Amino acid sequence: MSQPAAIHLSGVSKRYGRTLAVDDVSLSVAHGEVFGFLGPNGAGKSTIVKMVLGLTYPTAGEIEVLGQPVGSLAARAEVGYLPETFRFHDWLTASELLHFHARLARVSADVRSRRVRELLELVGLKDRANDRISTFSKGMMQRVGLAQALVGEPRLVILDEPTSALDPIGRRDVRDRIRELGECGVTVFLNSHLLSEVEQVCDRVAIIDHGSIVAEGKLDELLNAQEIELRAGEGAEAAARETLGEGGVRHINGRLRVRVANDDETARLIRRMIEAGVPVYDVRQVGDSLEDLFVRVAERGDV
Amino acid sequence: MSTHLIAFFTLREALRRRVVLAAALLTLGYLVLYGVGVWFGYRDLQETQGGPPGLTEGVVSLMLVGGLWSLNFIASVLAVFLSVGALSGEVDQGTLHAIAARPVRRSEIVFGKFVGFTLMLAVFIGVSASLMILIVAVITGEVVGASWSGPFLMLLAAMLLIGLALAGSSRLSALPNGVIVFTLYATALIGGVIEQIGDVLESAVMFNIGVFSSVLVPTRAMWDMASAQLATGGFAGELSAGPFGASNPPSGWMLLIAALHLALTLGFAVRAFERRDF
Repeated sequence: MSQPAAIHLSGVSKRYGRTLAVDDVSLSVAHGEVFGFLGPNGAGKSTIVKMVLGLTYPTAGEIEVLGQPVGSLAARAEVGYLPETFRFHDWLTASELLHFHARLARVSADVRSRRVRELLELVGLKDRANDRISTFSKGMMQRVGLAQALVGEPRLVILDEPTSALDPIGRRDVRDRIRELGECGVTVFLNSHLLSEVEQVCDRVAIIDHGSIVAEGKLDELLNAQEIELRAGEGAEAAARETLGEGGVRHINGRLRVRVANDDETARLIRRMIEAGVPVYDVRQVGDSLEDLFVRVAERGDV
Repeated sequence: MSTHLIAFFTLREALRRRVVLAAALLTLGYLVLYGVGVWFGYRDLQETQGGPPGLTEGVVSLMLVGGLWSLNFIASVLAVFLSVGALSGEVDQGTLHAIAARPVRRSEIVFGKFVGFTLMLAVFIGVSASLMILIVAVITGEVVGASWSGPFLMLLAAMLLIGLALAGSSRLSALPNGVIVFTLYATALIGGVIEQIGDVLESAVMFNIGVFSSVLVPTRAMWDMASAQLATGGFAGELSAGPFGASNPPSGWMLLIAALHLALTLGFAVRAFERRDF
């Protein structure tokens, strides 16, 4: 029997009054996957994260987390969560916060102290263990937040903007932690605006816009939906539109940029141009970055 | 069950944030003032010759009831201030997200907060009321009000307010909730006065309005019962009638109504909080 998905959403919608924040979203995150969740502000990312955590209820659809119905105590016992814009009770010390969350996460008393010590060391806050969180910098708060998310030895970690307040070294540390988690078989759901970060650590991504998933897949597949750049004579654009349809043809710096599904399509396009008597001077493949993909999706709502 | 964790956490927050320290210092100041007042009042009373039998005991009892009335008021204000933003305030600030995502039932969060605030108020009322009774006993030599029932009824009144404030806080933010809870509290207070006037004027309508307000929010009724327990002496009834108590203390049924009230408000708080989106 195959293992159930770590996160499974089917036909999930969320309506706030007359606003449809999430519109019929279906999504699956496999066990052990490092999954990147992207989208512009207000796209519905946080709403989906909160629904997966059982903090917000969907208006329609089903959500399962680690094979359990969303919000069940059994599912929540195995989930670690770092909330967006780190907000914890800042009158606690770092050590007290971790002890409290360890108890809530039902970590047994005999391992609690050791776990808290190890995590504080892992996030580089061993020396500040007994300082109040209110005295911490934003970056330190985010690090203690990450330790908090890991305190229950979760099978699924949901990180909402984990590195937004960190300096480059702190970011690299968190990226390394995420990679380590992935290597240990922990599923990571990473909600981030930092595309380079997602690009570096995620196996698969989904892009959400206006409450719907507009792109989903393995990162290399999504990015390899290639583009070619052509320098050609008059009539090239018409030939391209004729061959490949209206979408995915545009001008950049006087050159023609065309999206193609594969190499066969490239060959077909060039053959068509030559048949039509359009001189082709230069053809090259253009690598796509996640940023290109993201901007394209956010601007036009398609890939 | 995580109720005790949340309760302990709530207590610790109040201690750490110096809510309790501020209340304790102010109350201590108030007790000192009160002691000075009782000392002078009692000296004057002893210089008064004659008067009906039981006058001294009655006046001492009235002084204690008046003092405890103020403590009851402070406890009520403390109860409302502590709990008025306890749920929605923390949801709005985002501090409850990481906790509610843990294997913790929402009901455990509500009950944990309720228990935490109740314990805090129990310590506050227990210590300050005991000190007040002690002050009166030392200065006057009259031991009045030394029973558990008075402070317990004061605590019950505070618990009713905590329940009410938590019920509101499950949906409303702190400011509108505070306005509503204080308005209800004031309604009960004024209702008690209307009831007394109605009693004197033999106006059934006024009397019934008062009774209705007590059923709506039984905080005033709890105090009336407490003051009836505390007031002793020959004509304590007449003396304690007025702002500090009712001429006709509520019947024992009021306890049942209070218990139902608490069950209803807490039940509502849990249900509404369970269904709430973060």
